[in-house]
Amino acid sequence: MELRSRKFRTLYKTEVGNAQLRANLSKATLQAVDKRGQSFAEVDFKFLQDEAKKIKQESLSRLNDLLSQFEDSARKNNCRIFYAQTPEKANAYVLDIARRYGARTAVKSKSMVTEEIGLAPFLIRNGIETVETDLGEYIVQLAGETPSHITTPAIHKSRTEISRLFHDKLGTELNSDPAFLTAEARRVLREKFLSADIGISGANFLVAETGDIVIVENEGNARLSTSAVKVHIVVTGIEKVIPKFSDLRIFMRLLGRSSTGQKITSYVSLLRGPSTEDEKDGPEEVHIILLDNGRSGLLGTDHQEVLHCIRCGACLNVCPVYRNIGGHAYGSVYPGPIGSLVTPLYFGEQNAPDLPFASSLCGNCTEVCPVGIDIHHQLLAVRHEIKSAKKGGVERFIFRNYRKAMLRPGRYRLAGKIARGLSKTPLLRYFLKGWTQHRELPRFPSRSFREIYKSAKAK
Amino acid sequence: MIEDDREKILASIRRGLRGTERPSAGRSAKSPLLTEPDADFASRFAHFKAELSALGGEAATAGSETDLADIVTAKKTGAIFVYDDIRTGYGTFTSLLTESREARFGLEFGRGYDKREAASFESAVTGCVACIAETGSAVIKTDMRLPAALATSLFVVAEERQLLGSLDELFTDRFGNFEGSNLLLITGPSRTADIEKELVTGVHGPKEVTVVFVQR
Ligand code: SF4
Repeated sequence: MELRSRKFRTLYKTEVGNAQLRANLSKATLQAVDKRGQSFAEVDFKFLQDEAKKIKQESLSRLNDLLSQFEDSARKNNCRIFYAQTPEKANAYVLDIARRYGARTAVKSKSMVTEEIGLAPFLIRNGIETVETDLGEYIVQLAGETPSHITTPAIHKSRTEISRLFHDKLGTELNSDPAFLTAEARRVLREKFLSADIGISGANFLVAETGDIVIVENEGNARLSTSAVKVHIVVTGIEKVIPKFSDLRIFMRLLGRSSTGQKITSYVSLLRGPSTEDEKDGPEEVHIILLDNGRSGLLGTDHQEVLHCIRCGACLNVCPVYRNIGGHAYGSVYPGPIGSLVTPLYFGEQNAPDLPFASSLCGNCTEVCPVGIDIHHQLLAVRHEIKSAKKGGVERFIFRNYRKAMLRPGRYRLAGKIARGLSKTPLLRYFLKGWTQHRELPRFPSRSFREIYKSAKAK
Repeated sequence: MIEDDREKILASIRRGLRGTERPSAGRSAKSPLLTEPDADFASRFAHFKAELSALGGEAATAGSETDLADIVTAKKTGAIFVYDDIRTGYGTFTSLLTESREARFGLEFGRGYDKREAASFESAVTGCVACIAETGSAVIKTDMRLPAALATSLFVVAEERQLLGSLDELFTDRFGNFEGSNLLLITGPSRTADIEKELVTGVHGPKEVTVVFVQR
């Protein structure tokens, strides 16, 4: 994955000026917010959120035990487990399997972790045709772009843009009816499923107790990517493991509602491994890659709860910043409020110094998060860390002197005088130009309160 | 063979968690549903039907296997694939379909059969291990994954006793201990809203899902 988050300040400016993009985004996100709200009518959201948080806390605090337990269960089901610390290692392992099988084509279902490690472009560079089969991902891949939303990858594109894209790349007629476009994609991708050698997917949950690989989806492409192939490769993060099969009763009710306002997604696949002797199809081999890539570094820190995320995308939909700038501006595969945490925390604060500041701290994200991550306070904490690590800077200078001035009346009076004097010249405006670019600098009165009070008393 | 990073990762986890280990948290046994799950089949079925219909699927009851055959033949398109669990469990239904010469059966296919042949069936009929009124879902476990995944029209045949009230009943040891490589929850037709959030059904999987409860 190419991380471009350092360029946030330039990226967001282009995006925010794109009226079409903003229209696409607000239509889609507002609709998602609305449907999410309705879908929680019959269940106790607070209860589900508390339980989910409790389970995730337990999962992380016992992560070593649970990973070992998952390994045992998965091995019993004849899966092979591979731990990778870095994207390079995970990619190399997948390529190794593909080569061993002489695979020419891989079908892939949606997975954020594979985006994180840049798996599809890597395999393509190495001569393996790797096809994204989720409709949104397929659109984005055809366009040579990256997803701009965790659960709705092509949210930034309008039907007209997609119709033109299909026309250019697939030679279909110019028809922007979503049903027509979807049918075209089905036709092309069906052929890919029937000819593919290997299938790649992520996992929403790994159940330690049973070894289940749980995949939720709506289109049926994940089902085909994991069933119509000889080898199924699961690429997922170490934080996805949960203790018990029965814990799914909580997560299954939260995930669909939070992401698309569905009581449950159309498909939930509980996969345990290669096909058994009595089964006539399904993969012959199942490999599970458990990726770290910065995750274990958060354990035991104040940011551990960021690892609770189940990637539902709800925090993106409710975020006023995301709604205006879209996912690409963040320069990371993880956009929106959670992306502004994950990106600096996984990949280094120096690589995404502005993302935690791309928030109004309104708290909408925290309110909807199904696993109870205190997102906006986490953002504030990361801001603090970034600022404390930085020496110098105008802001620091101002606040240091502000503090000094506030502690002594004499200094306070002097500072007031200087500020009033400066405000009459263009100097202060120049000095604060970053701040005043999008805001009005309040006008300073010509006399201080003390002066006014004194002269009034004298009368 | 590439060597993996198991030990390094587990050590890093241990380092991070040192001193923060907590005992396993308890679980609340409470159901998150704000209303009680339906008690008898009639009310469960009404709930199930409402949920599934809202998603564009259909739920029906059949008084006999002949009724079941009528429902399937009236709705199906193209050739039908019939799973073995149906063949063994519903003899009359199966022979009615055989007579119409449009059905093929799981038993005719061996391990490693041709994927393209599976794709040639527009309809598929399978049994299930449970259905769930809360969500309108059918839970299936089959020895052939592809026909149902590739069909345009999917029929799930269930018995009354298989209809559960809520997901709380599904995610228990009884189902957690299933044999086989996969268990699948299907809730309505395959769908997407990836283009401008407009709902389109029948993306990669079935466009029509019909669940029939047979009374016997
Ligand atoms: S942080 Fe919470 S709301 Fe945002 S994607 Fe993750 S789980 Fe969903």
